Amino acid sequence: MPEDILYSIRNLTVEYGTRAGPVRAVDNLSLDIRRGEILGLVGESGCGKSTIGKALMRLHEVPARITAGELWFDGRNLMELPAGKMPEIRGAEIGMVFQDPMTSLDPVESILDHLTETVLTHEPKTSGAAAKKRAEELVERLGIRRERLKEYPHQMSGGMRQRVMISLALALRAKLVIADEPTTSLDVIVEAKILDLLKELQKEFNLTILLITHNIGVVAEVADRVAVMYAARLAEVGTAEEVFANPKHPYTQGLLKSVPNIELNSAELYKMGGQPPSLLHPPKGCRFHPRCPLVMDICSKEEPEFEPVIGDHLASCWLYQEHEGRGSSERHEVHNA
Amino acid sequence: MPKNPVETPEILPEGASWEVELNRVGFVRRLLMARRWYGADWWFVAIGGVAVVAFIIVALFPGLFAPYSPFVQVGPPFLAPEAHVDMPVLIVPKKSSVKSLQDLAVPPDANRPQISVVEGYPTAGALNTESQKIDEQIKDEPRGLRLRPVIDRYPSLQETLHAVVDGQDNASVVQESQFKSVAASFPSLREAAPIQGGAFSAGGFILGTNDIGQDVLSRLLWGTRIALTIGFSSSIVSLLVGVPLGLLAGFGGGLFDRLLSLLMDSLYAFPGLILAIAITAVLGPSMLNIIVAISVLYVPTYYRIVRGQTLSVKEEVYVEAARSIGARRLEILSQYVFPNVIQSVAIIFSVNVADAILTGAGLSFLGLGLPPTMADWGIDLARGQTFIQTAWWMITFPGLAILMVVLAFTLMGEGLMEIYNPKLRER
Repeated sequence: MPEDILYSIRNLTVEYGTRAGPVRAVDNLSLDIRRGEILGLVGESGCGKSTIGKALMRLHEVPARITAGELWFDGRNLMELPAGKMPEIRGAEIGMVFQDPMTSLDPVESILDHLTETVLTHEPKTSGAAAKKRAEELVERLGIRRERLKEYPHQMSGGMRQRVMISLALALRAKLVIADEPTTSLDVIVEAKILDLLKELQKEFNLTILLITHNIGVVAEVADRVAVMYAARLAEVGTAEEVFANPKHPYTQGLLKSVPNIELNSAELYKMGGQPPSLLHPPKGCRFHPRCPLVMDICSKEEPEFEPVIGDHLASCWLYQEHEGRGSSERHEVHNA
Repeated sequence: MPKNPVETPEILPEGASWEVELNRVGFVRRLLMARRWYGADWWFVAIGGVAVVAFIIVALFPGLFAPYSPFVQVGPPFLAPEAHVDMPVLIVPKKSSVKSLQDLAVPPDANRPQISVVEGYPTAGALNTESQKIDEQIKDEPRGLRLRPVIDRYPSLQETLHAVVDGQDNASVVQESQFKSVAASFPSLREAAPIQGGAFSAGGFILGTNDIGQDVLSRLLWGTRIALTIGFSSSIVSLLVGVPLGLLAGFGGGLFDRLLSLLMDSLYAFPGLILAIAITAVLGPSMLNIIVAISVLYVPTYYRIVRGQTLSVKEEVYVEAARSIGARRLEILSQYVFPNVIQSVAIIFSVNVADAILTGAGLSFLGLGLPPTMADWGIDLARGQTFIQTAWWMITFPGLAILMVVLAFTLMGEGLMEIYNPKLRER
């Protein structure tokens, strides 16, 4: 594993056991998270992006199960660790920020207790006073006055609670922070503040952040690289500039076109046809082909590889891959379309 | 670490003034202020709470409040509340310095004191018993005084009293009511002291006496101790068993949960008193067995509530968040699930105590509870039932006592439930 990669997901498959049979929420997915970057993971609801977030910490509980794959974190394969060792990594090396700050804090515990408990769980020898001092410094850095530490979650606003959640993830200087829709339930002003804060913290602490969201605007604002997910698989991965300026996968293109834009002149916003596929019976071939405006014969027959299109920019689409019944001229046309 | 702490000015949201106010006052003032928000529920809790504290104090120190021993005969049987006991009294001349029967004792060589009584009344018997008792007490004293009164019997009250006025006798012993009726015609005589004669205590019986002359009030007060002991201990036992089982079943799930829930539900399906009767019938009547029987009855109540709450709490995001900071299963159970579950238990406990007291009294009433010698409300109820036509007070007051205790605990419990957990109301 190259030194600049902090977390390498290799062929990860996560299944949910249901009455109708196993549902693959993440299907044979590989993704690298580089040190010090903010990687945005975008996709529609139900495409499996939150499942990846939990899988990275092996937080799954029945009925979800990681059925295959390797999770290389900082030189160790987490899948090979016994389950009893995982709590040592959770919180200490990988932190998590949840979607809804209204419910992700324990209502009967003060903010201070939340923070000191996190510290003491991993460093039982720390004195209470030292843990408190650390908590105070941390929340002040995140913009909460230290006097408010003794308060309970219900006494704080949504934005403040999300700051507390972030401080929990940072309390032990986690190398990787998984932020699962951290701003979805906040209003736009607080959202902007939290995103700015995340960016600042990332620089200050040299954090690596996996930002899971369905909001492509959030990703555009903060992410260094973007991974686009569709139906349990990756559709496209690339630097934020590349993906937004020159999207390769038709799904990404559609996604970007359907974002409301103030400069947009057309009367109606672009609507992607069709529905996301059922993960219980995913379509054969490319999973996007029933909705793809550029669909070809091969798309419904065989699945495209997930491979580089240009340099670091990867996509899984037959448009950029050699196959029977298609010449290089066709590719050129599409490129200019 | 803080390089540029972001300023968060304290801007209070609208209507937050009371919250600030609340932070500035002490706990007691806060409790009183709560009256404004909770209205009737606050009063329920306050009244119930005061009554519960009062009952607990009585249960701890019944001897301080009870005028008599609850186990011995202290008065005539079937004495109505506030009815006066007609005691034999010692009548002496006004100028005499005698204060009690003992003062009449004389040295062995002197003339024995002469005391007049009315023929055909039990006063002579009482006098005899009492003076024998006094002689027994003073016989070893160095002065060698002896009482041994000579009892002169007269056919009528007038003659008996005249014998004292004339100086034939030193004193007289007549029924108090008799003396009261003629006191005006004997201005030179006065009542010195009641003669107990070993049978009754002097004084009134506020709630009357029962069929064997025990004081109803004293038995009532001592009964508080037994009622609360049964109520609290059985509730605590079922809490100690039911809460951990509910936590483990709800948190762990699986086969253990299924089997335990099946067992608890079948226990719950039994009519409560019938199950308690069955258990005490097998174990035999004793305090411990009653507590065991009632505990078994209420374990499912705690189990079901705790299990249900655990099931919902463990799905909360903050529990997952706790796992994401590296908390282990045991830590999650003890620090995240338990504190969020226990609140509803504390409230149910109070209502449960009331229920257990009622069941305990029911068992004693049916004769399956405590041995009949004990001062217990259920036993008193059962005994009073026999004499409900002639002595209404025997069954009424224990019944009222049960009502009051149950009402106090229920008021407090239900009020607290309304305040803390309005969702439980539907139960």
